[in-house]
Amino acid sequence: MAVPDLEQEGWVVVPMFNEAEVIGPVVRELTQSFAHVVCIDDGSSDGSANIAREAGARVLKHPLNLGQGAALQTGFEYVARQPGITHVITFDADGQHLVGDALEMLELAKRKRISVVFGSRFLDKRTKPGLKKRIVLKLAVLFTRVFTGLRLTDAHNGLRVLSMEALDFVRLEQNGMSHATEIVHQIAKSKLAWREYPVEVLYTEYSKNKGQSLWNSVNILIDLLVR
Amino acid sequence: MISQWILAIALILVGVYLLKARRSASQQAIRRLFIIVALVAGFFAVLFPNYTTAVASLLGIGRGTDLLLYAFVVFALVYVVHQYRRQLWQEKVTTDLARALTLAEAEIEDLRNSRKL
Repeated sequence: MAVPDLEQEGWVVVPMFNEAEVIGPVVRELTQSFAHVVCIDDGSSDGSANIAREAGARVLKHPLNLGQGAALQTGFEYVARQPGITHVITFDADGQHLVGDALEMLELAKRKRISVVFGSRFLDKRTKPGLKKRIVLKLAVLFTRVFTGLRLTDAHNGLRVLSMEALDFVRLEQNGMSHATEIVHQIAKSKLAWREYPVEVLYTEYSKNKGQSLWNSVNILIDLLVR
Repeated sequence: MISQWILAIALILVGVYLLKARRSASQQAIRRLFIIVALVAGFFAVLFPNYTTAVASLLGIGRGTDLLLYAFVVFALVYVVHQYRRQLWQEKVTTDLARALTLAEAEIEDLRNSRKL
């Protein structure tokens, strides 16, 4: 199903921290549709890097754990130097995204010349987050709207497609989880065209345990205010 | 009361420092002057304890002890905020360093791989 152009020109960036349990299949699936999959190993101690490499990813290693935002930024700077790249796709390592969604988003970005496509789990009924999760995510959405002015329906979805033009405007300084709001903020300031695209988020036991809590909303708020 | 104004303004300035501070020469100079003034004031407070009460009542605070307590709280807050900002800055430096290392390593690996092919 992969279109040759999409396969070569869209680079996938996967921030990764201690995901040995799941990263192998995630990378293998990605490499079936994308020629370039870059995992940024954020100081994992469980051998994630080797597993990802064996599965076919290009692995960059942070010498110490810095946070997901920092890993994404490293990935962005790495792919920005690559010849022939037109888009970067951010994809979570824990297996909660569908590769098919990523392909559709990339295809949409190219066909309609939209600079940024954000994945949203709230545009259709496929994703079934629990009540607590829904409340946390909706609070994040509300907060992102107030802070960035962008009317997204899902603020903390790890699946995004950015054109190289958009990537020029992105410079993540929030090492932790607040980068999700920061990236929206920087895109909002760029005035580039953006769109949301319905994606499914798979809640496995594994990803549920890694999810964000309500307390994290407070941390994100303070992160963004105190810089 | 004048002391209330001074304290309120001091706390607001601490808040501004927390939110807006950028590293600059002027800030460093202010910090150092601050420390010198605090040392000198402390020195005189030790030598002439009665004067602290005189200064306190001048500002509308009852006792010299209270004046010292208020000053201590403000200084402690300034210290906490300053250390917090330093830590943020340190984190940024560490991140830049780690990223530079990661990207340099990646570049070497890429060069090696392209030679092998």
